[in-house]
Amino acid sequence: MNEKTLDVRGLKCPMPIVKAKKELATLTRDERLKVVASDRGSVLDFRGWAKQNPTFQLVEQREEKDEAGREVFVHLLARRS
Amino acid sequence: MSEMKLTIEPKELWARLHGDGEPFFILDVRNAEDAARWRIEGPREVPSVNVPYFSFIDDEDGAVAQVPAGLGEAVVICARSHSSELVAEVLRAHGRRALNLAGGMAAWGDLHVPLLVHREPAFELWQLNRFGKGCLSYAVLSGGEAAIVDPSRFADVYESFAREHGVRVVEVLETHVHADHLSGGAALAARTGARYRVLEGAGHEPRLGVEVTPFEDGETELRLGGAGGISIGARAIRTPGHTPGSVSYLVGGRFLLSGDTLFVHGVGRPDLGGHVEEWGRALFSTLRDVVSRFPDEMVVLPAHFSGAREESEGGVVRGALGELRRNAPELRIASAEEFVAAMKAGVKEPPVIYGEIMKANLGLVDPGEKAAEWELGRNECAATAARRLAACG
Repeated sequence: MNEKTLDVRGLKCPMPIVKAKKELATLTRDERLKVVASDRGSVLDFRGWAKQNPTFQLVEQREEKDEAGREVFVHLLARRS
Repeated sequence: MSEMKLTIEPKELWARLHGDGEPFFILDVRNAEDAARWRIEGPREVPSVNVPYFSFIDDEDGAVAQVPAGLGEAVVICARSHSSELVAEVLRAHGRRALNLAGGMAAWGDLHVPLLVHREPAFELWQLNRFGKGCLSYAVLSGGEAAIVDPSRFADVYESFAREHGVRVVEVLETHVHADHLSGGAALAARTGARYRVLEGAGHEPRLGVEVTPFEDGETELRLGGAGGISIGARAIRTPGHTPGSVSYLVGGRFLLSGDTLFVHGVGRPDLGGHVEEWGRALFSTLRDVVSRFPDEMVVLPAHFSGAREESEGGVVRGALGELRRNAPELRIASAEEFVAAMKAGVKEPPVIYGEIMKANLGLVDPGEKAAEWELGRNECAATAARRLAACG
């Protein structure tokens, strides 16, 4: 499955979800969108958003370190099957 | 024609929650979990509605329809006010009245409201009420000098307060090592040249470059206003239990700055250090041997409160000790065993971050830019509040 990456590090709410929505519009059935955010608040926001969204789902969320060693929050999104 | 008002400052919102002006309601646009965890509540009962900001992004008309139309003006809130600004604009575009809370919950948690507790020729006593967090600090003013008790990390708040009142900060006091919020004690003392006081020998002296003037063992008199001026005694009294090094300050013989030992509706949790048995016994002894000697008229001025129901007139959080004796079952328990059992029954896990905050308050770690994140939410220091109040989450 192809994975697109959207880097929203440094952005605070509502921008990570606003930008993700734009990317998702062109996402195909066999693609996933990986959103990389630096804002901890994005974790519950993506969770809450995906819960009520009829078209897209949250496949996975995890915490990682980016190449500079900073804490980032990764959200994997896909179309609902 | 005046420009349309688009935002409301935290201080204005505090005033509206303490007044009976035109109707309004809170529109919380954070996700449901964050909205449930930390809410804006005042003595005035104001409806609160949660419609997350991402609903407005997904389906604008549908989200606007979820916002009640008959409750007056919406005060829109989110974590840092970017999303609420967007939602307030959307609502106005739909013909609704909406104000954005400037700075969001972050600014709400940082608001300190100075409230006069008592004034007489010899001294003034002020409560600096950090309403959004439920944290209370105090300023005792006398003869051109000030003692600040339990200052928050916002040292500038106390500096400007002192400037406005034409006093010099000469003493900075802590009632104990706080675990729920970051202390500004060391910073305020360094900036003003005041003495920084904690109790000696309790293992709670800040380390790493912080200069401390310890209290000696036993009860100590502090003086404000100098030898020639008007002066007011402030007595430090050991009241271990919430922490082993907890101390209360008696001001003017009648006002007890009780830290987290006594609250308006109960006693402090002795379990936050993981030693509920030992600290619980210490708290019981404090209540039996120290607090029991104080008269009913003594005014309890704690370091925390859990909600507006603990407020008196004008928003001051205060209570008569006599009333606390009548209402708090913890103060009527006769044996140490029974008391510890009651405290154990109320034990719940303290937030993980409490350990880090305590280390920072001892000068062992520097929170740096994490300070605001560590302090999110309300405090959980009261034994009674933890049991009785769902809002104290």
